[in-house]
Amino acid sequence: MLKKFKFGRIGINLFIGLLALFILGPIFWLAVHAFAVDWHYPDLYPSGVTLHWWSKVFLDSALSTAIRNSLIISPIVVILSMVICLPAAYAAGRMNYFGRKAFMIGVFSANSFPKIGLFAAIATLYYALNLMGTFLGVVIVQLLGTIIYMTWIPAAAFAAVPRNLEEAARDAGANKFTVFRTITLRMAMPGILVAIVMSFLASFDEAQGSYLVGAPAIYTMPTEMYSLVQNYPIQVAAVFSILLALPSVLLLGLARKHIMGGQLAEGFQLK
Amino acid sequence: MISLRSKRNSEGSLAKKGERPSSHVRPGVLGLALSLPPLLLVGVFIGLPILIGLTFSLGFTAGPNRVISIIGQQIHKKSHWWGTLQAYSDVLHDSRFRGDLVLTIFVTVLSTTLVLLLALAIALYQRLIGGRKASVLVTLSIVPLFVPVVISAWAIHTFYGGDGFMRTFFSHFGINFPTLTSTPSAIVIGTVWTSLPFAILMISSGLQAIPDALIESAKDCGASSLRVIANILIPLAKTPIIIAGSFTSIGILGSFTIPLFLGPNQPTMLGVEISNFFGSYNRPQQSLVMAFIVFAIASGIAVMYVRSNVKSAKESGRL
Repeated sequence: MLKKFKFGRIGINLFIGLLALFILGPIFWLAVHAFAVDWHYPDLYPSGVTLHWWSKVFLDSALSTAIRNSLIISPIVVILSMVICLPAAYAAGRMNYFGRKAFMIGVFSANSFPKIGLFAAIATLYYALNLMGTFLGVVIVQLLGTIIYMTWIPAAAFAAVPRNLEEAARDAGANKFTVFRTITLRMAMPGILVAIVMSFLASFDEAQGSYLVGAPAIYTMPTEMYSLVQNYPIQVAAVFSILLALPSVLLLGLARKHIMGGQLAEGFQLK
Repeated sequence: MISLRSKRNSEGSLAKKGERPSSHVRPGVLGLALSLPPLLLVGVFIGLPILIGLTFSLGFTAGPNRVISIIGQQIHKKSHWWGTLQAYSDVLHDSRFRGDLVLTIFVTVLSTTLVLLLALAIALYQRLIGGRKASVLVTLSIVPLFVPVVISAWAIHTFYGGDGFMRTFFSHFGINFPTLTSTPSAIVIGTVWTSLPFAILMISSGLQAIPDALIESAKDCGASSLRVIANILIPLAKTPIIIAGSFTSIGILGSFTIPLFLGPNQPTMLGVEISNFFGSYNRPQQSLVMAFIVFAIASGIAVMYVRSNVKSAKESGRL
């Protein structure tokens, strides 16, 4: 802590309270609805507590299919993204080849085209390639949103591995593969982990592209949520929201330290 | 010293053995080869559709655009060899589009400003004062990163809605809290909510990188806290702040789910209108024109981002 900096105690407590209300308020408000029998304005409490809505979600075949689809598609997307992007991230972090910068900026500018416009434009191509309404089509559309995380963040992590450590290991007689596995990869692991988490979230949360490409053949959890909020009571949407947020919260526990430790921020500084 | 020696050693061994797996391949070629798969993916599934979409927006209705030209309404066919700007003129003269554009820019500027101010305040508090309260603040602002945007939009929708918590709570004190859902205010609330984590992560890591000694010595010379912030901390963290600002504003500019769930029906943000024009109104050409207009604005912001990165790389001697 630095000396000579003071800040009103009441002020900061009030600020924390307001921020907590702003950030957590909506989530809690929605979450408690998952257990409410009914809730009428302006009652402060629901008319009763029930688990009825949970069984409704699990017994509804459309909803459970969406859950299954999401849990199958997102891991596939993340693994594909790793296979496609990690070698490129290694190259961008460690090799100074012609076009390296263009590659990084290209990935970035592809990411700044409004997604919704891209999905409108992609329809033509999808019809031509017979990808509309297919599993592969949904996978590809979700894959597109993960590229920036899976290239930029690991690239920064690979670049940050000290070269002399690798050289020392080489001198000590380790072969190239061993050095890569035990030093380079291990030291870049936190960055790769953050990239995996961010990619999983990007894929798992992706709604609009998956809807445009997948519906009505394939629904994932977020695309199901669009119709859910219109056609079901709010309690069902609340249950579904909790289920949809679960993987994210689990991943938060896994990667929180590294994300807050600056791995994500490091990845977005273009070098 | 160590690294120098090891470098010489490794070069020596290279000369002796004369072969290493990669010594046959130039690193330039290998690097390019490794970066091909994602480039190909981006090229085929982002670049190509955008290019085809661009030709379509200019009135090229043959080839890959044939089917969509038959299905869509109010399609303009090219009148010159380079196409026609009729669809662009349609959109620019549409009063509906103008209202959308004004709202989109208003929300983007206001939300980005609010996000940056909030993130800066929290990150500065964390850097200068620290402690448990600071980590509570930072942790709180990271929470939205882990909530799918569909959920956050719906949660905020119900929280500020007609029978939501805010109105319920304040009604017990006889205060009639306004219904914010379906107003531009709700879009601003939603975009600030979802954009806060990234801005905090960027700015706080930028501020953490500034050495304590710099701040202490300025304080010892009699600089006020405000002066330290304005003359040392903010200028030194300029690059992360600009990165946070550009990513936040580009994200908000093209946002869809938040304005769809939280905004008014009319005017709405361009992300929603692009989808409306493509789907409900069946005017794909005009829809794509709007996408290109949003892209043009986003590109302006992106250029700012890239220039700031290049400048900071030059200053720190990396370029």
